[in-house]
Amino acid sequence: MVRATADHATSHRAALRRLVQRMPGLRAAVSGGPSLERMGGDAESPHLLDAEGLEDATLRSHPVPGVPAAGFAAFLDGVQESRVIAWSGPAPIVHGTVAAAVRRRTDRRLTTWEAPIISRRIYAPLAYAPEAELRAAFGDDALVDTAHPDAAGALPPPHPTLLLERAKTAVSRDREAAERRLAERWCADGDGTLAVDGGISGSDLLAGHPAVAGIVKSHRTLYASGAALAAVLALARGERSSVFRIAARERSAVHSWYLRLRDPAGQHALHGLVRVEVAALEQGPAAVAERADVVSRWVLAETTPLALPDPRWDVMSYPVRDCEEFLRAIL
Amino acid sequence: MTPPPAARALGRVAATERNPNTPHQFHFWTAVDAAVGIGTIVRVDGAHPIGGQLPRVYGVVVEGFSYTDLQSPLHDVLGYDGDPSSAGFAPTERAEARVYTAAVLRQIPEEPMQPVPMGDVFLADHADVAIALRMDGYLKDGARTAIPVGIYRAGAMDAPIYLDADFLVGPEAAHLNITGVSGLATKTSAVEFLLQSLFAHFPEAKGSIAAVCFNVKGPDLCFLDQPGELTDEDRELYRALDVPAEPFRDVEYYAPFKTDLLTIRTLRSHEALAHNVRPLTWGLAEVLQYAEVLLNRDDVDAKADALIDFIRERVLGRTFEDRTLKETHTVRSFADLEAWFIDVLRSLEEKGGEQWRTHHVATIRKVRNRLSNIATRCAGLVTSDGASSDLPWGHFRDRAVYVVDVALLEEDAQDLIFARVVSTLREHLERRDLGVSHVVVFVDELNKYAAADGPDTYVRRMLLDISERGRYLGLVLFGAQQFRSQVHRRVAGNAGTALYGRMDADELATPGYQVLSPAIRTKLATLSKGQLMVRHPHFTQPVFVRFPRPAVMRGRDGAERYPPAVDVPFDQGVLRNLRTLDPSLTLARIQEFVALYPEEEVTRAMHATLRARPDSVEAYFRAQFKTLVPSQRAPAAPAKPIVSLPKDDPYAI
Repeated sequence: MVRATADHATSHRAALRRLVQRMPGLRAAVSGGPSLERMGGDAESPHLLDAEGLEDATLRSHPVPGVPAAGFAAFLDGVQESRVIAWSGPAPIVHGTVAAAVRRRTDRRLTTWEAPIISRRIYAPLAYAPEAELRAAFGDDALVDTAHPDAAGALPPPHPTLLLERAKTAVSRDREAAERRLAERWCADGDGTLAVDGGISGSDLLAGHPAVAGIVKSHRTLYASGAALAAVLALARGERSSVFRIAARERSAVHSWYLRLRDPAGQHALHGLVRVEVAALEQGPAAVAERADVVSRWVLAETTPLALPDPRWDVMSYPVRDCEEFLRAIL
Repeated sequence: MTPPPAARALGRVAATERNPNTPHQFHFWTAVDAAVGIGTIVRVDGAHPIGGQLPRVYGVVVEGFSYTDLQSPLHDVLGYDGDPSSAGFAPTERAEARVYTAAVLRQIPEEPMQPVPMGDVFLADHADVAIALRMDGYLKDGARTAIPVGIYRAGAMDAPIYLDADFLVGPEAAHLNITGVSGLATKTSAVEFLLQSLFAHFPEAKGSIAAVCFNVKGPDLCFLDQPGELTDEDRELYRALDVPAEPFRDVEYYAPFKTDLLTIRTLRSHEALAHNVRPLTWGLAEVLQYAEVLLNRDDVDAKADALIDFIRERVLGRTFEDRTLKETHTVRSFADLEAWFIDVLRSLEEKGGEQWRTHHVATIRKVRNRLSNIATRCAGLVTSDGASSDLPWGHFRDRAVYVVDVALLEEDAQDLIFARVVSTLREHLERRDLGVSHVVVFVDELNKYAAADGPDTYVRRMLLDISERGRYLGLVLFGAQQFRSQVHRRVAGNAGTALYGRMDADELATPGYQVLSPAIRTKLATLSKGQLMVRHPHFTQPVFVRFPRPAVMRGRDGAERYPPAVDVPFDQGVLRNLRTLDPSLTLARIQEFVALYPEEEVTRAMHATLRARPDSVEAYFRAQFKTLVPSQRAPAAPAKPIVSLPKDDPYAI
């Protein structure tokens, strides 16, 4: 099992004890409180983006032909948890844990593939916190600065809430990096197609690998507007949208489509709606559509067993929930 | 022998605040496909030393739980659209946990006794099983008192389980009780196998041992000397337990006659098996000694008791004279006794009196009536001439089985035989002159003979006595019954070793079984043939074992292969009995006697011969009859000489 931190950072309690020993002047957050992930606020506001249609000029619905069939060999997901352990004036000192695991399916049972990645670090805005003492207490590797100056060299304002959000974002980046590293390891050594919880465009390797598919559950960005958006929201269970191409700035291009996993009648407009990402390998509408149908059947097959009681059960596959449960158990 | 399992952890101890470990119980989880189940013996290796020693805990699984991450069945219903068959097509099975609860068998070190520590759980191997069940104490070379009772099976490992002879036969504890539903042949088979094992492994240093088995139903124990059918698996079990897979070598059968006094009343009456079947017949003296067994407790008040004592001490077997009686009586049989009663009552009537030697006429009539009934109820057991044919008291042989077949008898006769045989065994063992130093008495249907509720019978008191004091004498009770809860508590409770076959659910619901976990009770209700749960003083928890079917012919098979002898004419019946001693006898020879003598006399001669078992059967049989002398003319007297010769006549003319 990969552990990236020293003993004193193995839990937020251990980190807290060390902090109190080394820096008695800090205000220790001994009362605990909820993790940052439970706090509101999201860096990205919801928005619409038009995407380049590959199968149809305007997105429309396509019933997925054939019977759903299991096609994924393994599933990847990551978790994160961060808590404030002390305050130095307005600066929160956060203990963050990130982990990622691949659960491989053999004879319908899930087991862990290779060693999961687990990382525990201290996230602090060093410009507003006692940097030297923190480095002495936790070491350079275990310390992450959450108050980098921007391109103009300006520091973020010392607003506690802003600094908390920056800490949370930094933890999320670490989690994504851990997921990416593990997925890339699968691409090198794994056997079969890996289903990644989330997008795959953040890694050139993943975005170009035929044995990886990303399944995006949240839709802060909807790649449709106007009639295309109406078509996406009108998708019935077992229908997919036309395939489109996403080429975001600083990210690799991928092929993507929307897929309705569950009947939305009487539910939220996005109920049971996922977006699938695969490598942009196929050329021509027919090949793109065929690939989309195959992967859609695989994703539809994962709608049972239900991932309840997870509140995202309508879009979460059971093996992804299993990944999360596994990671929670070992953290 | 199956190789021990690889030393790979089977599970991990798991203790939670809600389900903590204690010194007597712990919990652990395993892989879904782990070879563990109710009754499996496991070992926990603690990680932290106590007093310089890494703790080891041995336990037996008593409960099991299975979990998935399913929070509500409704989630599954929704997931599969209410169609259970579609669940089989789901690409992924839900995560499942197997959690077991184990009862502690032994902790090492034993002090200080602490809650079971966290640690890896292993399947117990041979050595672990011996330590866990404290068998290591009596498996030592030079002090071995181990008696194999069966095989404990877990995973790919078979480990023999042993009882301690000191706790099975005495003197530390003794007696065995086996319970289980009828019809599976488990009880009888288990006792037969255990006797074979006991005979094979009873340490010579502890003395000699024999068994007296009461066959109380059907042909169950009638073919103990005949080989039975064994499967390869049975033979493997015999090899593993080091018990010879062969029938008992030395068996004798005893049963009373039928009322015709010709055919022995047993299902083992086939001529081919008659060589070791002996008649069991008693005279009036033997019967009167245990008259109390046959008499209703209300009948035997102090007055009747006094009269019976008087008859036993003053009348029986001796010449009895009384000036009020017409005749001198020598009472040796029920017929003689009846004549004596008639004479006594006649004298009272003639005198018009109500008392004879302090005994009231009503008491005399009542005792006469009750004793006369015995002859009727025990016909075939009681001889008319007072002679008895009995078990070989004083000459019991080591490792011999004596089967007393009472299956076809009236209940009274069964009670009488049971009471007298066991009492006589006890007397001889007290005097140390039985021929062996230990006797196992096997009694089935303890529900009947030692019922928890019911009359306080002589037989029950005797069984209680054996249970409580027999081990000091070497008199060991192996009892069996369908419902242990219905057996007298002291009889069942004094059995140091208890075996359980498949149990009835109603029986398992009785208070005596509430100490067992629900899973153990469920396992008991579903045990297959050849499986037993064993409780023994050395085992702190019950253990499940498998035993081979006994290497003797099953009663039902024996009855088919050796059908009982049919009733035959008198002469053929006599021949059949005598041929058990001398197969060369012919019907023609017997018919000569039958033609010349009354049947009663021929029968008496036959019984005398059977009892004596002489070398020359025909000669002995002939000698039992009064010689019939044909009429002849007397020879003429020799003529006397006229002149007498001198005594010293030198010429001897």
